[in-house]
Amino acid sequence: MTKPNSWSSREQSLLLLNAYLDNELDAASVLDVEQRLASDPALRVEHERLVQLRHALASQLAGERTSDDLRRRIAAIADTPRAPEAPPDNVVPFTKRPARVYGWQHMAAAAALAAVVAGVGTFGLVREDLGSSEIAAIVTDHRRALLAAAPFDIASSDRHTVKPWFDSKLALSPQVFDLSSTGFPLAGGRVEILDGKPVPVLVYQRRAHVISVVAAPRGGQEKTSEPSRVSTHDGYSVIEWHGRDFDYFAVSDLAEPELVEFVQLWRQEAGDR
Amino acid sequence: MDDRQLFSEAVLPHIDAALSLARWITSDRADAEDVLQEACIRAFRAIASARNADARAWLLAIVRNTAMTWIAKNRPKTVVTTDDEATFERAGLGMVEQQASPEELLIEKADAEQLHSAIAALPLQYREVLVLREIEELSYQEISKVLSIPMGTVMSRLARARNLLIQRIGMAGKGKAGAA
Repeated sequence: MTKPNSWSSREQSLLLLNAYLDNELDAASVLDVEQRLASDPALRVEHERLVQLRHALASQLAGERTSDDLRRRIAAIADTPRAPEAPPDNVVPFTKRPARVYGWQHMAAAAALAAVVAGVGTFGLVREDLGSSEIAAIVTDHRRALLAAAPFDIASSDRHTVKPWFDSKLALSPQVFDLSSTGFPLAGGRVEILDGKPVPVLVYQRRAHVISVVAAPRGGQEKTSEPSRVSTHDGYSVIEWHGRDFDYFAVSDLAEPELVEFVQLWRQEAGDR
Repeated sequence: MDDRQLFSEAVLPHIDAALSLARWITSDRADAEDVLQEACIRAFRAIASARNADARAWLLAIVRNTAMTWIAKNRPKTVVTTDDEATFERAGLGMVEQQASPEELLIEKADAEQLHSAIAALPLQYREVLVLREIEELSYQEISKVLSIPMGTVMSRLARARNLLIQRIGMAGKGKAGAA
């Protein structure tokens, strides 16, 4: 039996094999898998197992069927007049992220924030309204975390500990990088409630300062290289940028140029630009 | 198209699929019905976002998120926490070698009950990926959107989920053969 020459190549083979069976590979990779199958009896055994599993699942598992009663009750949902309510926050946008539509209350709040920003007189990369209530909530959470015994729920400088912790806690996987080589060590992570839903927050340290990076999930969003947006709130700098599947907000009492530097390093790590 | 019509075209055709997903996540038919109903109410509130979307995947995403909220509220302890994903995941792919001989391929003979309990025993994050792929037949890309996780994570979770199933069923099958 051909032994796989290394762990990573074995894992790679299994991933490819699964994707091959799911018709998710491009033509070149299909060819590659078929060649590997031809030359590797151990891989053929894996293949046979996966095919069997698929057959077993397809033949044995029946889907659920809703009862007529339940179906009627669900159909009746559309008969009730719809409350003029915002969409629930657990709806994943399946098209491009829709432009935010602000009601007049938001506009008023944004205007108030703009006045604060103008008064403080700081300068950002691109300065614009970020949906001010979100920013205010993020800054409040950050301040509350600073008052707590520790600004994180899990203390670890190892991203391989922090990332799975979020994954298991929230079933969300934001990107996590340790930037200690450039002076921003990862300190841990915590969970905050933003807009009524739990979101992961990464915690970094810079000397005695704490940086919170809030990762608000935006389903299926491609990462972009568009510039980060800077604002201030109650003396805290907040920088927002769009990453892969998440909108990120970095907040800190650090001087703004240092926070800008942090975000640039972070985005470089993420391959944003 | 008005909201009512959109609801009956985007939601109603997919409620069987939606109920299956809720059933696999909550492991209970009655709970799944509650989740489905709650999810449909949410779907109707957000019905405008079903326009220009793949309605099935859109509804499944709402159901999945509603079910996760439900679980966090009603069964906080079932959400498995692992402090060391690396160890956990290595366990997933590493044990294959030990039962590599073809004569032990009993997977095809597994009955519905065995499969059900093997799937139910999977960690939630693996189970939902498996169910979205094998039962709901979504593409990797659709799964990635429904769960808000990268495609690479979909691939690795799916591979590990299947691997865990094969191990479990293989072991159960061996036990049976030994007893006979």
